[in-house]
Amino acid sequence: MTDAGLPHLIVRNVSKRFGATTVLDRIDLTIRRGELVTLLGPSGCGKTTLLRAIAGLAQPDQGHVELAGRDITLVPPHRRNVGVVFQSYALFPHLTVAGNVAFGLKVRGRGKAEIEATVERALSLVKLEHLAKRRISALSGGQQQRVALARAIAVEPDVLLFDEALSALDRKLREEMQVELRRLLQNVGATAIFVTHDQDEALTMSDRVAVMNKGRIEQLAEPRELYSRPASLFALNFVGLSTRIAGTVVGSQDGKVEVDTRVGRLSAMGNFVAGSPVVVAARPEHLRPGAVMDANSVAGRVRSVVFQGSRTLVDVDAGAGESLLAELSGRDAAMPRVDQEIRLTWPVSETFAFPAEARA
Amino acid sequence: MIARLAIVFAWVMAVGAALFLLAPLLVIVAASFSPTPVFDLPIEGASLRWYGRIGKLDGFWPSLWLSLQIALLSTAISLVCGTLAAIAIARGKLPGASVFATALVSPLMMPGLVLGIALLQYFRAIAFTATWSALLVAHLVVTLPYVARTMISGLARFDFTLVEAARTLGCTYPGGIVRVMVPALAPSFLIAGLFSFLASFDNYPVSIFLADVRTKTLPIRMLQYIEEAPDPTLAALSTLILAGTVVLLFASDRLVGLHRMAGTSD
Amino acid sequence: MTEAVLALPAQKPAVDRERLTAFGFALPSFLILAGIFALPLLLLLGVSVIGPDGLTFANYRRLLGTPYYLGVIWNSLRLGLLTTIITLAISYPAAFALARARGAVRSLLLATLFLPLAASVIVKAFAWTILLRSDGVVNQTLMAFGIIEDPIRMIFTETALIVGTANIFLPFMILPIYAVVAQLDPRLSEAAATLGASPLVTFFGVIVPMTLPGIIAGVALVFSLSVSAYVVPTLLIGERYPTLATTIAKAYLLAREPGFGAAAGVVLLIIAIVVVALSTRLGREQAAR
Repeated sequence: MTDAGLPHLIVRNVSKRFGATTVLDRIDLTIRRGELVTLLGPSGCGKTTLLRAIAGLAQPDQGHVELAGRDITLVPPHRRNVGVVFQSYALFPHLTVAGNVAFGLKVRGRGKAEIEATVERALSLVKLEHLAKRRISALSGGQQQRVALARAIAVEPDVLLFDEALSALDRKLREEMQVELRRLLQNVGATAIFVTHDQDEALTMSDRVAVMNKGRIEQLAEPRELYSRPASLFALNFVGLSTRIAGTVVGSQDGKVEVDTRVGRLSAMGNFVAGSPVVVAARPEHLRPGAVMDANSVAGRVRSVVFQGSRTLVDVDAGAGESLLAELSGRDAAMPRVDQEIRLTWPVSETFAFPAEARA
Repeated sequence: MIARLAIVFAWVMAVGAALFLLAPLLVIVAASFSPTPVFDLPIEGASLRWYGRIGKLDGFWPSLWLSLQIALLSTAISLVCGTLAAIAIARGKLPGASVFATALVSPLMMPGLVLGIALLQYFRAIAFTATWSALLVAHLVVTLPYVARTMISGLARFDFTLVEAARTLGCTYPGGIVRVMVPALAPSFLIAGLFSFLASFDNYPVSIFLADVRTKTLPIRMLQYIEEAPDPTLAALSTLILAGTVVLLFASDRLVGLHRMAGTSD
Repeated sequence: MTEAVLALPAQKPAVDRERLTAFGFALPSFLILAGIFALPLLLLLGVSVIGPDGLTFANYRRLLGTPYYLGVIWNSLRLGLLTTIITLAISYPAAFALARARGAVRSLLLATLFLPLAASVIVKAFAWTILLRSDGVVNQTLMAFGIIEDPIRMIFTETALIVGTANIFLPFMILPIYAVVAQLDPRLSEAAATLGASPLVTFFGVIVPMTLPGIIAGVALVFSLSVSAYVVPTLLIGERYPTLATTIAKAYLLAREPGFGAAAGVVLLIIAIVVVALSTRLGREQAAR
């Protein structure tokens, strides 16, 4: 209990190349005991490779991995004491549910009575005690996923690794599992790393999220911070919706910049020299109809109004090829209508400037 | 309309093929009960005397024993070598894997006769004249392709993530293979063993060139019997072998499913 | 520069270890193939061209130059072709029926395919002599039904030979085709139908092309097996139909002409290799589609 919060898993300067491609580029990551961290990114960003490197299923070309105080960089997977839940679950078809969960314990040579007790405990954690004798082929996807989890937990690993473990489930079940999994892991005090390309999953389940792109970690932050203070254009784009307007910096003062865009002069937070090409961005929930002094404001014509239950997304054509995206809740006053002329405004403190990325 | 005719046609051909295949077998079984010492049909009456005579055929027991030994040993060795090779091919880390796979299976299509004479020359050239051992070594080439073919396709369907899972749960790589892959591949293993045993036990073209006067496998003896004095004893022997095979096929269907032996899944 | 100094040395054990394991696993089989298959065949090639005075092609000249032996080669090829055509004609429709079968019927039909594999080819061939003799079962049945008056001379004819080889090798044609037909996705035919294809067009345009890999595999196997068949021709037709196989056996077991036998063996081998190469290439083209 007093260990909670200490550095538990340390990845130091890990790199890996497959032929000419750099899949992991000098990764540094420190995870505390009891923490749930997600590696989030598009396919090919290296998140799965990083997970496999931590598990010992892939070997880094350089760098170190430390777990629970010992250097495991050269240790083979079966001595690392990591638990892995695979995307396909990888349940052993020739064993029953109980047989699968007991597997790791049997390999470690535990006694029969101890194994039975541990298996029962693990299965009750995932609420599958009644299925202990069932064959794997007779289980639904959700049940298989839980067996995979029980199997990994049963050996009490130092860290649990989830490789897109929820992606095979249908949406409703997936969302339920996200919440349940987080609660379970917190109860047990487990340290876990998730790999996913689903940003909602990342934000729901994690204490911290590492956004990865092209083998690098672009930002490592709590979900709230990642969402409202993205560190790069990539992170901004990958998580959540946004309004993005390109422009050129014309003035800079006290951490704020003036940007000249095709829809007018806008102010944003940031430090750039005059003449830098930037992208000005803001999250949709900050855009409101109206005009406020000392705030950004742009006018346009409503292109679409999309009702999504608790929120409504309003897409506005601001002219010159630029768009605005506003999110209004049911409690707002009159909903705008399509083709309506509208002016939207938002605070400068919630407007960010990022370097415009060269088109790849 | 056409579709229905076509289906009827297909069934006619299927049943016809089945009867065509069974015809010689029925002849053999019927002839085995002949009361007269002629391996022929039709038979008047029935007698079991030829079944009793099986053991008394000239040189029968040594030949049977030899064929069994060679078949069992060569199958066992091929199962190990072939499975290991199939694993190496399936894992994808072997350079030239597909060429190697084709090469492993190619002896199946080569004329056994040619292999027989080639081995005859070869063993003489390297002064390898111990007949029993030469037969065993030759039968390795007879059995290995059957094992390779079955295990390669069986492994192609195997999900190697299961071995990774076993490793994260504490198994070494070989340990994971044994604990997880062996049980999953058991059906393929059985099928491979069965086909390769039969291929060796029944082999003539390779054995004939390597046998000598004292060391003859069962098929060689059988051709001898047929050419010299075909009497129903041979029919009785074949009927017993067929009966054993029926039992084997029944068991295989229960354990594995004959359709899986034929290479399809459910 | 400083980064390179601080960076830790590359660690490579596991990757090479896996490759090393793969090599190790493949080694025993490789040795068997190389030492007991490839080398002897190469030696055979050598024996076929070595005469009492050194390198000679006399064996090949005899084999490929005399009309008699050209006829023998043609016999072998013809045996292969006819057997292949007949077994294919029977197997293709039969495979479809088999694929539709389920449960006990399917098991029973599959058993009739596997059972003959357990009976020695020697005994089966002999059974056919019993069936096809002048006073054999077939003739007697035909006369009993009044279809013929006098017994047809069947034994020791080419017909008997082909019937025999077709019977022995039929399972080898049905099984590969069945394996492919059983895996056909019925939705493909459904899609063709919704696009306007009649059953005939669907069959020849969709189904046949999809079963081609099985057909190629079956044809290659049966052709190479029947071209080199030894026991069946010896028992069912004997001297009347000399093939490369019987020539080889004679050269080694009787005439003591190993060089000539080796040359005949090489020719047979080349035929088999051509068949394998063609079928592999065709199979690969199919897969690439």
